[in-house]
Amino acid sequence: MKRKAFWSIFLFVFSAILLVGCSGGTSSSTTEPANTDQKGTDSGTSETKSEVDRTLTVAVGSDMVSFDIHNHNNTSTEAIHVNMFNYLFKKDANGEIQNELVEEYKIIDDLTVEMKLVEGVTFHNGDPLTSEDVKFTLERVATDDTLKEYPNYKQIKEVQVIDDLNFRVVTHAPEPSLFHRLSRLGSGILPKKYIEENGWDNFLANPVGTGPYQFKEWVRDDHITLVPFDNFYQGKVEEWDEVVFRVIPENSTRVSELLTGGVDIAVNIPPADWDRVNSNEGTSVVQEISNRVIMLILRSTEGLPTADPRVRQALDYAIDDGVLANTVLRGGGVPTLTMVGPGNFGHNPDLYDTYNYDVEKAKALLAEAGYADGFEITLQSPRGRYLQDAEVAEMIAGMLAAINVKVNVEFLEWSNFVEMRNANENKEAYLLGLGNSMFDGAYSVDWYRAERYKGHTDYKNDKIEELLNASASNMDQAEREKQIQEISAIAAEDVPFVTLYQEKINIGVSDSIDFDPTPDEMIYAPSIKRK
Amino acid sequence: MGKFLIRRLLQIIPVLFIISFVVFCLVFVAGDPVALMLPEDASPEDIEQLRESLGLNEPFHVQYFTYMLGLVQLDFGDSFRYNQSALPIVLERLPATLELAAASMIVAIIIAIPLGIWSATKKNSPLDFLATGGAVLWKAMPNFWLGIMLILLFSVTLGWFPVSGRGSFSHLILPAITLGTGIAAEMTRLIRSSMLEILNQDYIRTAKSKGIRNFYVVNKHAFRNALIPVVTITALQTSTLVGGTLVTETVFSWPGLGQLLIQAVNTRDMAIVQASVFIIAFVVILMNLIADILYKILDPRIKY
Repeated sequence: MKRKAFWSIFLFVFSAILLVGCSGGTSSSTTEPANTDQKGTDSGTSETKSEVDRTLTVAVGSDMVSFDIHNHNNTSTEAIHVNMFNYLFKKDANGEIQNELVEEYKIIDDLTVEMKLVEGVTFHNGDPLTSEDVKFTLERVATDDTLKEYPNYKQIKEVQVIDDLNFRVVTHAPEPSLFHRLSRLGSGILPKKYIEENGWDNFLANPVGTGPYQFKEWVRDDHITLVPFDNFYQGKVEEWDEVVFRVIPENSTRVSELLTGGVDIAVNIPPADWDRVNSNEGTSVVQEISNRVIMLILRSTEGLPTADPRVRQALDYAIDDGVLANTVLRGGGVPTLTMVGPGNFGHNPDLYDTYNYDVEKAKALLAEAGYADGFEITLQSPRGRYLQDAEVAEMIAGMLAAINVKVNVEFLEWSNFVEMRNANENKEAYLLGLGNSMFDGAYSVDWYRAERYKGHTDYKNDKIEELLNASASNMDQAEREKQIQEISAIAAEDVPFVTLYQEKINIGVSDSIDFDPTPDEMIYAPSIKRK
Repeated sequence: MGKFLIRRLLQIIPVLFIISFVVFCLVFVAGDPVALMLPEDASPEDIEQLRESLGLNEPFHVQYFTYMLGLVQLDFGDSFRYNQSALPIVLERLPATLELAAASMIVAIIIAIPLGIWSATKKNSPLDFLATGGAVLWKAMPNFWLGIMLILLFSVTLGWFPVSGRGSFSHLILPAITLGTGIAAEMTRLIRSSMLEILNQDYIRTAKSKGIRNFYVVNKHAFRNALIPVVTITALQTSTLVGGTLVTETVFSWPGLGQLLIQAVNTRDMAIVQASVFIIAFVVILMNLIADILYKILDPRIKY
C-alpha cells in the first residue's frame, strides 16, 4: 500500500513537471517574456498583443530602498520615485532648473524666497496640494537629524505659510544652492494630512505623491508596479498602462531578459555584453554620461612623495586617461581634468574631454622633485563598484611603472573600503567615483577644502580656500559660477587628485521604445515613448 | 516520544540564545554601518551625527542590552536600509525560500532515489559507472554557471521558460533544477553506497532465498533500511537550502532569504542580519528535529 502511494506521488510530480515544461514552451515564446514579472493574476496568455505592449518593464540592478524619500541616498531608488513624487523645481535636459510644483517665485532677501504653488495639484488620494504640505515636508528633512537626507536640507530654517498656495522658504544663512536642493531627491512633496491621519508605516506601505504614476504593488527584491494617476495635474499619461521595475541583480540575467523581450529597458549593461545586446535583433545599448567622475584621491600629507605638487603632476602626466576611457572601458568614459561635469553649475568646458599625458614630462617633473629613481606607493581600489574599476587600477599601476613608480594595488571589498576612508586609513592614492546629485559644482570642489579633509587628503591651497569661502555664501550666481570654474582650473594645475574620466551609463533598450537616458540616471516613464 | 519532543523543543531556547549572542558579537565586530548609509561625499561631521542619532556610539553592553530587550519580544529593531521593522521583512521572504527549497528537494529526490537504487543493483556495470561518474561531474559544476547555462539554453535559445523572477510554476523550474541536480548528485552516491551495504546483509539473502522477487527485495526490504542516511542528508541539505541559496537566488532574481541576507551583510544592516540568522537557525533546528522523528518512524528500534 505504502509502495503504491509512493509511486503514485512520484509519477504525479514527475508528469506535472513534464507538463508544465511543455506548456511553458508553447506560451512563453509569444507572450510570456513581456509578462514574466507579473504574478499569476495576469500571466499573459489571455492578453492581447496591444495590452502587453502597454506595460513598460524596466530591469534595475538593486531593489528600491524605501518610500521614505528623506531617508535613503540611493539614485536607483530616486529613479523610481521621480514617477510618483514631484519636486518644487526640476532640472531640464540641459541641467537648467525649471519650475515644477512652483508656478512663480520671488527672492525676498538673501535668506528668504517666496513661492507660489501651481493651482489644482492633487495627491493620488485626492487631497489638494497646499503650502502646509510643503512646510511639513521640508521642515521634516531640515530638522530630523536621523534622516539620511538631513545634511542636504539642514540649511533650511523654516517654511512660513502665507496661504494655501503661497509660502516662504527661509534659510539659516545665505544659501546659493537652495534651488539645487529643491530639485532633487529628498525634496519631493509629501501629503501632510494623509501621513498625519494614517501614520508613517501606512504611508511607507501605501505611498501617495502628486506624480504622473501612482503606487500599485511592491514585492521586495522582485518588482514594483506603478499605474497612471488619472488626475495628474499635467494630464494623465496615456503612454503606459503599467510601469514595472523588476529587480534583477545578476548582469547576465538582466541581459538575457532584455534579449528575450522580458524587459524593455535594462540598466548597467557591462562592457562584455555590449556586443551581444547590439548584435541581437531588436535591442541595443544606449549611452549617456553619468554625473560620476572617477579619480585618484591623493594624500598630500607631509613626508609622502605625493605632498610635492610636481609629483602629483607627474602622476597625472603618466596616466593615459584616453586609454582608460576608450580601451579599458571600451568607450564607457570621457577623459576629464575637472570634477565638475557638464550640466553641473560651475562646469568649466576647457577642462572637459581632455587630459594630460606626456611620459617624458612626467619623468622630468619627478627628477625635478628629487625622485628620478622613482618610489613606491599603495593604490587602494574597490572591486566591482564602478565600471571596470579593478582593471583601471591595474592599468594605472602599469602606466606608473613607466616612470619608475611602483604601485602596490590593494583591492578592498566595498564596506571595508568605506571603513578605510572613514578611518582615514587611506594611503598615497585611492580610486573613487564621486557623484553629485545636487548638480552644483560647489559640492564637488568642496573636496579641496583643507579643514574638511584634514587627516584624509591633507591638501591645502590658499587660493582655493579663499575662493571656496567666497563662493559658499555668494548669492550672485554669475560670480559664483566663475569662482567654481576658477577652483577647477587651479586644481587641474595643482592636482590635489588625479581626475581620470567621467563614467558613462550603459543601458540596454528594446528597439520598440524610444528612451534617451539622462545624466541624473532617472527613469522617467512619461518621457519614454513607444515607437 | 512525547517527552522527547518536549525536551527537544525546550533545547531550542538556549540554542537560539547562544546563536543570537554570537551573531550580535560578529555584527558588532564587523564595524559600524553609518558610513555605508551616507553617500561618498558625506562629511565626517554628518557621519558622526547620524551615528549618534542611531545610538551606534553606545558601548557594547548598552547596545547588547537594548538588542536583547527587543529580542525577548521578538523585535529585532528597525532595518537601517528599509527603515522598517526587520522581522516582518525577513518573514516576508520565507515563503519564496521555502518554495524553492521544497522544489529543489523534490527534483533531487526524483533523480537520486531511482538512480541510486539502480546504480547499486547494477553495481560495476557501465551504467553504474556512468551514473556515479556523472554525479561527480554534476556536483563539480558551480551553481551560478549551471544557472546561467540553463537560462541561455532553455530561456534565451529555446524560449521554454521565463529567464528570471518568481510567480508562476514555470518560474520555479530552472532554479529548482539548478539547485536540485547538485543535491541529487550527492544523494545518488549516498543512496548507492547505503544500498550496497544493505544488499549484502544476511536478511536480504534470506529474503532472496525465500524466493521473493528481486524487485520487492530491493524496494521493500533494502530500500527502507537504506533511507536513514538519506533522511539525514535531506534534512541537512534542506537546512542549507533555506540559508544558502544565495547564488541561485541572485542568478534567477528569486526574492528569497539568501539575497536579503547578503545585501544586509554588505550594507551592515544589523537588524536584518540578526533576524535572518535567527530564522534560519530556527529552521535548521526544526529540520533536525523532523529528521530525528523520521528515524524513529523508519526504524522503530531507535529509542530516544
